[in-house]
Amino acid sequence: MNISASILEIAVVLLGVVIMLADLWTPPKYKSWLGVGSAAGLLLILAGSFFLQVNEPIQAFGGMYVLDAFALFFKRFFIVATMLVLLISVEYSKKFQSGSGEYFSLSLFALSGMMFAASANHFALLFVSLELITITFYILTSFLRHQIISLEAGIKYLILGALSSAFLLYGIALVYGATGTMQFDALRAQSANMVQSPLLLVGLLMILAGLGFKIAAFPFQIWAPDVYQGSPNSTTAFLAVGSKAAGFALLMRLLMSAVPDVALSWEPLLMGMAAITILYGNLCALPQRNLKRLLGYSSIAHAGYLMMGVAAMSLNGSGAILYYLSGYLFTVIAAFLVIILVMQHTGAEDIIQLAQLHQRAPGLAGMLALSMVSLAGIPPLAGFFGKFLLLRAVLEQASVHTAYYGLVAVAVIGVVISLVYYFGIIRTIYWEKQQLVADEIHVSPISRVVLWVCAVLMIYLGILPNRLMEAASTAVESLKF
Amino acid sequence: MESQLAQYIPVLMLGALAATFAFGTLLASAILGKTGYRSRIKDTAYECGMLPVGEGSARFSVKFYLVAMLFILFDVEVVFLYPWAVVYKDMLVEHAHLIFGSMMIFLALFLVGFIYEIKKKAFDWKS
Amino acid sequence: MNSPSLAACLIFSACLFCTGLAGVLLRRNLILILAGIELMLNAANINFVAFWRHHPASDDVAGPVMVLFALAIAAAEAAVGLALVISIFRHYKSTNPETMEDKSS
Repeated sequence: MNISASILEIAVVLLGVVIMLADLWTPPKYKSWLGVGSAAGLLLILAGSFFLQVNEPIQAFGGMYVLDAFALFFKRFFIVATMLVLLISVEYSKKFQSGSGEYFSLSLFALSGMMFAASANHFALLFVSLELITITFYILTSFLRHQIISLEAGIKYLILGALSSAFLLYGIALVYGATGTMQFDALRAQSANMVQSPLLLVGLLMILAGLGFKIAAFPFQIWAPDVYQGSPNSTTAFLAVGSKAAGFALLMRLLMSAVPDVALSWEPLLMGMAAITILYGNLCALPQRNLKRLLGYSSIAHAGYLMMGVAAMSLNGSGAILYYLSGYLFTVIAAFLVIILVMQHTGAEDIIQLAQLHQRAPGLAGMLALSMVSLAGIPPLAGFFGKFLLLRAVLEQASVHTAYYGLVAVAVIGVVISLVYYFGIIRTIYWEKQQLVADEIHVSPISRVVLWVCAVLMIYLGILPNRLMEAASTAVESLKF
Repeated sequence: MESQLAQYIPVLMLGALAATFAFGTLLASAILGKTGYRSRIKDTAYECGMLPVGEGSARFSVKFYLVAMLFILFDVEVVFLYPWAVVYKDMLVEHAHLIFGSMMIFLALFLVGFIYEIKKKAFDWKS
Repeated sequence: MNSPSLAACLIFSACLFCTGLAGVLLRRNLILILAGIELMLNAANINFVAFWRHHPASDDVAGPVMVLFALAIAAAEAAVGLALVISIFRHYKSTNPETMEDKSS
């Protein structure tokens, strides 16, 4: 038994418990300091994670849990993501009528679920960690519980989420029945010679449906727009980066280390899912006037781009996913922070609210434009390089299967469509003539720091991608694909 | 290829059977229910005897649901204690720290939830 | 000991799963939708126990242990679900998802 392997998760859970208890005795005036405190705690844990050495994969809890370079990469990613989300929710928490302290501790518990998911090496841990994330998110999405739209988002997410976890659990039961094991290493050995077993394939298909829901890939994306629109802004950002990345971590671990032989025969299925998700997300985003709903559809499209990396079924494809997710993280956080700051007073979320933003707040306007450019994939920002890596990984595989050319074509079409709506937002910021009652926009020091960090990293990752690329490629090597 | 497809026939049959069952019961209740001689008296809760007073489903206080939810949570989490108690004696020989420590950690987390509920006055029924 | 055959268990659990799914898709009451989901989860639990009971290597107890985890998670899900339904009910005075649509638009 090797409990010390999960030291990072233990630290995060402890931090969450401490914040939850501290919240009980903190007067309401000082609650926002709990958010800053938990972000600071996460910074310490992040620093501590660099003392962990994983030359060899370390297994713990009877092979249920594995700590390897892949898991460690994702753990750091999740810690950074949660840290930024906590900082932007400090800004947003004024909107909560009560319980902002609980919002912070719930975010930390969701983080612990994501970190366990990164290390899952057994279906039991996969299911429990996924449910820890999802159930926490049911609460986080309906946190504005005096607003009907937030409650509706919560209940929609709950019903569809619980439905998908029922499919997931049933699928796990079928796989367990077919192979007699739920441990991924044993499953890898077992599944190699039963690629044709219908029980195994039906089970895996149901598991794919359950995970597809988490990453909002077609045809399991129907919840995404409503939930993205209705949730508190900070939760929407967390959903877009944290929950989605956890889904991809599990999907990659499952397809590449647990059942590689089955996954190889599923390439056409994965390609189809990726292509339809890209087209659906981008086409539906075109007519949207609500900014959060637009970002919801754009996040479906991004899930499609990421699915391309899974469909490529290669080390380069997986490395590209890790890189893309990292760039996407900073872009989305920056975009949502600007949205929170600009729309603080109005409450409306129509794109027209951004009109003439460059006169009211040139810094924020520039920041939002920068993140839109990065999302659209224009060089030299992080978003461009991520898309480039993904497309390259897919093209490399084209010698195996010519359908990959089709996937690349669809992705390029998707990028072209997305230019229309991303530049629509930029046009509104700078050239829309309509005058609005201009509110004074106050940017707190914390937000300023977050925006600077995101901007610097977005540009840094675009211009000097080497270090992150190296980290990503060493991380995916431990997938043993 | 054909033999491969033939392997899916049991799965197909299972699906068909399940679908027939699910929709069959729905159909059966639609056909069999609400037929025959009906009158207002037939539809009352008691055909003879006392007349029902008030609504059929009584409104419960929201407090009831709160208590019910807390009960479900604490009741179900205790399920982990049973297998633990079963293997406790066997594991005590070799992994004494493990078997004892893991349950103590579990109960400590439980205690945190309990403190939280007390401080949030979830057990305060009067207010 | 006489126990039902694996096929019987699987057919029963598949029926239960489909009944739950039909409940989720057809019912117009949030509480009953949640109950349908519970049925689906329990169908999976029956599968776990059945496969474990009939599998040659049944000294491994992963199946029943998984059932315990699934039960605990289902309870947590139900608790959060009920809490959400109560707050929705306070807004709409109804647990029918369709009346929700009407009033929000």
